[in-house]
Amino acid sequence: MANIAMQRIRREFKEVVRSDEQSIKLELQEDNVLSLTGYITGPEKTPYEGGRFHVQITIPETYPFNPPIVKFTTKLWHPNISSQTGVICLDILKDQWAAAMTLRIVLLSLQALLSAAEPDDPQDAVVANQYKTKHSLFQQTARFWAQTFAGAPGPLNPDFQKKIDKFLEVAPRADRHTAIQQLSNFDWNIDKAIEDVYKSD
Amino acid sequence: MATSWLAWFLEALSKFLNFITFGKMLREEIEDTDLTVNVKFSKDLIIPVKISSDMTVQQIKDQLASELSIPQQELRIIFAGKELMDQTILQDFDVGDQTILHAVKQKQAQTSISIPEVNAETTCPLSDSIVKLQLTDSDRKTLGSSIDIRRVHFFVFCNDPCKQVCPGKLRVRCATCLQGTLLLQEDPQCWEDVLSKGRLKGKCQNDSCTGSDAEFFFKCAAHTPNTDNAAPLEHVKNNFQEVPCIACQDISQIVLVFPCEASHVICLECFLAYCLSRLNERKFVQTDLFGYTLACPVNCADSFIKDAHHFRVLGYEQYQRYQRFATEDFILKAGGVFCPRPGCGAGILLDETLSKCNKVTCSRIEGQGCGFVFCRDCLQGAHIGPCQEEDVAERDLTLAMQREDTAGGTLFMVDEDRASRSRWDKSSRITIKGTTKPCPKCRTPTERSGGCMHMACGRCDLEWCWICQAEWTRSCQGSHWFG
Repeated sequence: MANIAMQRIRREFKEVVRSDEQSIKLELQEDNVLSLTGYITGPEKTPYEGGRFHVQITIPETYPFNPPIVKFTTKLWHPNISSQTGVICLDILKDQWAAAMTLRIVLLSLQALLSAAEPDDPQDAVVANQYKTKHSLFQQTARFWAQTFAGAPGPLNPDFQKKIDKFLEVAPRADRHTAIQQLSNFDWNIDKAIEDVYKSD
Repeated sequence: MATSWLAWFLEALSKFLNFITFGKMLREEIEDTDLTVNVKFSKDLIIPVKISSDMTVQQIKDQLASELSIPQQELRIIFAGKELMDQTILQDFDVGDQTILHAVKQKQAQTSISIPEVNAETTCPLSDSIVKLQLTDSDRKTLGSSIDIRRVHFFVFCNDPCKQVCPGKLRVRCATCLQGTLLLQEDPQCWEDVLSKGRLKGKCQNDSCTGSDAEFFFKCAAHTPNTDNAAPLEHVKNNFQEVPCIACQDISQIVLVFPCEASHVICLECFLAYCLSRLNERKFVQTDLFGYTLACPVNCADSFIKDAHHFRVLGYEQYQRYQRFATEDFILKAGGVFCPRPGCGAGILLDETLSKCNKVTCSRIEGQGCGFVFCRDCLQGAHIGPCQEEDVAERDLTLAMQREDTAGGTLFMVDEDRASRSRWDKSSRITIKGTTKPCPKCRTPTERSGGCMHMACGRCDLEWCWICQAEWTRSCQGSHWFG
């Protein structure tokens, strides 16, 4: 069974390599065809613009009858992607998968997901809530994450920077990632974010 | 310049190779043509006749006339629902080694009536009529007038001895006397004509029989003598248009074509992989029309495999598993339960009139069932009154085990605590109990490995809530989707 999967992936790999789309890319992880890394660039006119996002793609033995297992390894702030684990909520990676789809389609769909979130079918409830109730704060946060973790260009939000530094002063055992995660979770309310860290200690 | 020379040379070489291999095939065909056919005149009289490549029906009648002392003009030869005309060359008519032909004496009174009734093409063997159905309109377009019908096959699953998908042969007999002496009134026009009994009529030429219903059956063309043990596979076809497989994208000669509008094509190897993966996930679908089956891997509408025999490609053991799952699924959908006794697991359909009573008996019928009487709600032994709390039942069980332990005497000092922890069965049962929750409908222990609280039962398809342990609702989604 794995042979069918491997044969299919080799062809799909060539398809992506040959296509001249600049915004998606596939790489093999070592020599194992069933484990790949994909890259997508953040779509224009979104907080993700100019960022480069990595996804880890694992091909199940039963591919293409079952979807590839895909998750982001670059941290990002999006209602349909877990901000902690990178797990993605996308219908074609679950019950809407069809054997005729390819890795190229998957990568293009992920890009489309970055342009058009589905906050009513969230993977990360906190992000989804922020998206719906404080949309401008959501956009600033998503931009900050894209700049910090995905190399998107432009000056970082100075207010956020200040709050991170202050957070790290109060909670010296936490690292920068934790600080960003905590502050984002609490809509950049530094008191609540710090309180929560001590509560969970 | 050099490259074009090379190309020319390679082309010439391949032509030459083609020529010699083709020549070899032709020779083999000629050598292979001395066949024996069996002519059946009555129940007990079967006459073997050797035939050569160009032998006509006229010649075989001559031989039979002298052996049977019947005037040659009164003999009729029937094969696969059709009368063979005198000038027909036997081997053109799908007649192979060990084929049985039927000889009948002309029924005097009916000659003038029966023949005009027959509209079936007398020049076309029966198998060919179904083979033509295999060709799609676009096949005809691509192949044009150059269709060599001998290259076209329809396929069967041969259970014995081939155990695989083989080219098939179609035969017909009289549904009344089960003899091959029936003359078909018309050729089958579609698979339904062949697969459902009594759709096509004919006239049985057997003296003592007045049957008029045609009964079709299938044989494997890959071995002689042919047994009747072959199931037709209507979705398996020759891939004349060289459509690549939807899964591996290779072009195979024999493929399965799903009945969806897009006619998605899958090669047999990938079809096997597809069936196996869906079987392992219990993702076959129970349908009213076609039973426990699969849609095409693109999830098109109206793409279900229409006949379970296609799943025989799974092989004997996996096909048995398929049948077991199909039965279980049917029982669950009908609201039935499975006997909870270890090693039994028989499916039990519940009588609706007894629905107020929780007591279920696993009856011993036809070698199934173990006689265990249990409660439908808690799946423990039958009891009077409300179900016991589960930990109470568990404590009773532990006590019972300890009693068993001590009753065995005290030859060895065994730490009871350790002994109870070292029980394989019990510790896995405790682990299962600790890490799972039962599906609210079919009570299958279910583990939640991550994600949200929205569970989908892999066995009975119920969507339920991990927290409420009841069917999933909008309010579960609103208040505790992620815990």
